[in-house]
Amino acid sequence: MNWARVWAIAARKFSSIKRDRRMFAFIVLMPAIQILLFGYAMGATPTDLNVITVGEHPILDELADSEYLIITSMGDVQTARDAVDRGDAWAVIEANGSEIILHFDASNQQVMATIQKEVQTAVQASMGQLPISQGEVIHGEQEPEFIDFLAPGIMVLVCFMFSIILTTMAFVGERNDGTLDRLFAAGVTPIEVLSGHIAAFSVVLVGQVAVVISLAIGFFDIPMKGSIILLFCLALLLGWASMCLGLLISTKADSEFKAMQLTMPLLFPVLLLSGILWPVEALPIGLSQFSQALPTTWAAEAFRSIMMRGWGLEAAVVWKSFLYVGTFGLLMLLGAARSLRIKT
Amino acid sequence: MAVNIDDLVRGYGKIKVIEGLDMEVENGSIYGLLGPSGCGKTTLLKVILGFLKPESGSVKVPEGIPGSAVGYAPQELALYLDLTIAETFLFHGRLHGMSPQQIDEKQKWLTQFLDLPPGERQVGKLSGGEKRRVSLGVALLHEPELLLLDEPTVGVDPELRARIWDYLGEISQQGITIILTTHYIDEAGKADRVGLMRGGILLAEDKPSTLMKLHDTNTLEDVFLNLCKREVIV
Repeated sequence: MNWARVWAIAARKFSSIKRDRRMFAFIVLMPAIQILLFGYAMGATPTDLNVITVGEHPILDELADSEYLIITSMGDVQTARDAVDRGDAWAVIEANGSEIILHFDASNQQVMATIQKEVQTAVQASMGQLPISQGEVIHGEQEPEFIDFLAPGIMVLVCFMFSIILTTMAFVGERNDGTLDRLFAAGVTPIEVLSGHIAAFSVVLVGQVAVVISLAIGFFDIPMKGSIILLFCLALLLGWASMCLGLLISTKADSEFKAMQLTMPLLFPVLLLSGILWPVEALPIGLSQFSQALPTTWAAEAFRSIMMRGWGLEAAVVWKSFLYVGTFGLLMLLGAARSLRIKT
Repeated sequence: MAVNIDDLVRGYGKIKVIEGLDMEVENGSIYGLLGPSGCGKTTLLKVILGFLKPESGSVKVPEGIPGSAVGYAPQELALYLDLTIAETFLFHGRLHGMSPQQIDEKQKWLTQFLDLPPGERQVGKLSGGEKRRVSLGVALLHEPELLLLDEPTVGVDPELRARIWDYLGEISQQGITIILTTHYIDEAGKADRVGLMRGGILLAEDKPSTLMKLHDTNTLEDVFLNLCKREVIV
């Protein structure tokens, strides 16, 4: 490894990145926008839900205080059900003597769950303490929100996705315009070419990771129980591993279209199978093994453990994640080096 | 002898591109490799560069190839269009371990020698001929002992082509060995030695004047035609 040559390639690449203003803006702004959109659009409790009450009951009175429901009352159940049928409201809450009967438009499970929870709260408020209560939580927040689960996964997704987008175009064109051949004629090795690119992209990566972490924690108030430095390191490692994957794709693609073609099928499985949107525990056998092979699954679990549980490197989930993501990156790097080497 | 190739065989898979080629290039000479597209010229250059390993036969080249012993200008311009000329030289100079002062001095010399535009001009905004000369300059930058030029005059106007040949003459007088490929038969007459390549072998290899005398004509084109006919008959 000739470090002077690596440095020369890194400097050249970095000046190209710097000069391409639109790309630079895209690279820095897009992760920020994505984190902001996810934070605002996902995981919050639905509000302004129309609900119709029928009859009189202390529980219904309590319900009137709900900040999520808009309550109207009607005379009889059939008219109220018709209103729900027409889509004017999500539910009818019927007081039938001492009994409460719920009639739902169950087409939206999240909305239904919110109304159920509000009714439960009202029941508790009107009937006094139930014989069941929640002790102090061991990890996480006393009143966990879906966004707390989601945010670490989204951070992983953003780090993964933008590192790939950053690097897939690296060698597209350079294979055909002779510039790579010129480097190889000068005795540069594939590993040196790759290292130079990684060094240049790393400057961008550090910025990206910093933006992603500070927005998630600073702006959306996602709990951060563990070491932020450890989180930063894992995010960087994941970024590097993803860059190596991106570089591997880049060595295989001779056009921008082909690079896109190779990248797109990767992003969707990662989004769906890494436990980012939904727990991996829900995956069927077969898919769950596949899920375990994705570095993003390991990273997402470790991100959650660091952020919610405050675990450090001593926890198996965390150190294994470092090990696995690092190994994955190294394998991708070797694959890219192999693929970049001139055919002999 | 700068390059000595003996009975080289090389192909891609089952297709043999070069089949039993012999070639001798003397130190400090200009060697013109002449032949139609697809005759194996570029493959031969890649073998000399060490990109491709011979399947059989022997290839002797100077020490340090690939590396600083060779200056290579691919058929495509092989330049980063977003860099300036100065940055281009700085980058390639660093790859060869040159100091900034060395690069600077060499750039001054190349700018004069090849009549290049000022260093702060962006490569992407240069004319085709200017880019061609910058590409040649990059290959010369680190003073290699062997210069490999793949089609250095393709798509270049006659005036610039004549100038490139003048440059090459001067460079070879400094003791640098030059191998270039071309499919312009007329210009190959200016080389010290030409190899007429077809179907993966050299049909003939000698001084242009000797070849013309041997075939009793005064153009290389006739020599090539003669050789092709003879090959068909055989």
